[in-house]
Amino acid sequence: MKVKVGDVVLPGDYCDEIASVGAKSKVLIGPGLKKEIDHVFVTKAGVLKKRNPSTFWVDSYQKRYIPCRGENAIGIVHQKAGDIYRVDIGGSCTASLSYLSFEGATKKNRPEVQIGDVIYAKILVASKDMEPELVCVDSHGKKGCLGVLSDGFVFKCSLNLIRKILSPSCPLLDSLKNEWPFELAAGMNGRIWIKANTLRETIAVGNAILGAEYLSDDEIKTMCNNIASILTGHIS
Amino acid sequence: MVEEDLKDFKLKPMKCELNFLNKSDGSAILAQGETVVLVSVNGPLDIKSTSQNMEKATLEVIFSSKGGKPTVSDRFKENVIRQTCETAIFGCLYPRTGITITIQELEDYGGLLPTTINCTCLALLNSGLAMRHVVAAVGCALDEAGNLIIDPTNDQIQTATATMYFVFDSREKNLVTGFSTGTFGEGVYDEALERCRAASDLVFNFYRDIVASYCNVIG
Repeated sequence: MKVKVGDVVLPGDYCDEIASVGAKSKVLIGPGLKKEIDHVFVTKAGVLKKRNPSTFWVDSYQKRYIPCRGENAIGIVHQKAGDIYRVDIGGSCTASLSYLSFEGATKKNRPEVQIGDVIYAKILVASKDMEPELVCVDSHGKKGCLGVLSDGFVFKCSLNLIRKILSPSCPLLDSLKNEWPFELAAGMNGRIWIKANTLRETIAVGNAILGAEYLSDDEIKTMCNNIASILTGHIS
Repeated sequence: MVEEDLKDFKLKPMKCELNFLNKSDGSAILAQGETVVLVSVNGPLDIKSTSQNMEKATLEVIFSSKGGKPTVSDRFKENVIRQTCETAIFGCLYPRTGITITIQELEDYGGLLPTTINCTCLALLNSGLAMRHVVAAVGCALDEAGNLIIDPTNDQIQTATATMYFVFDSREKNLVTGFSTGTFGEGVYDEALERCRAASDLVFNFYRDIVASYCNVIG
């Protein structure tokens, strides 16, 4: 079926606008779209979105992570195998993380990573035919915010929720950060790591994030206020 | 003729809930009339290397009947569903992985197989796996008087001389899968095919409505 930008699309639909834009300039097609011989076909159910001038993608619901180059992910170290760590990032196979890809690591000076540690890393190589490769440094050799996450609490959620809370227009983190201090790392693989001063505050952050999945911006603000008032009431 | 029939033609009422199970990657529960099926999709997953395929994803379908004991007819249903899904899923995007589809029959009041296929398709849509097209299954029965009944009820199936089930894709409405029981002539089969093809539009519209109602919440 023929669809327009902004419509609800199903796999097998095609959009003429992509072809007409593509005739004039280069088109970027994102997740949920696939070029075949004559048309660009939709492969996922969701809403067809466009960003000017020529980027198209389908916003769809998903829980299972498919690794993608350049995304930050939270993984759990499964195994030490020679000079690499095997890290579970929730994809179809484990990712590899070289011990040299930490800040200041040399052959003699190994980073201290144990099995079971939680790691925040960037995906350097992601291909359907190879296992993904992670790094814990940026291109300048600095660790930035990447590396081992100590203490804290990790929970899973849908990939949409991660995209939602990380989007600049979402008021969730802005409202929460004014209420009480906490640290948060969100992996695009549907895992969130949080750490606050007390257990009660940690659980409150977790519940606020999970509760925000199906709420609108205004509802999120009221929910954050509610949680904050409950929290302060109990502590005092 | 087909067009005229379709104007006031309705399928049995369909009710659906997506994301019914919160632990699986995609799930759907679908009621078509009184027949109810629950499907869960997990994948792409790591599977043992003997069953890995270098070219595409390996599909595994598990059908659990209400009684719980696996029978030969369950194996047949698993095979039909697996082959139907293999055409629908872009398996080449997930090589060396496995996709598991688990089906639980909850109520069977006729037309179990079409309901199962439609429910599987909805669960796949919910899981976010890349698909070539969606599929819609429609059943029809031939009664003793020789009339074709689209989407028959349980009583009509019990008394029918033949039942035919067709699965269509959403792109060109091509036949993906067809299976039938009983005896019938070639002309009857062709007519049943065309009428089911027309009726499949209703199922595709239903999919679109369901996805639209969930997009409003999530998007």
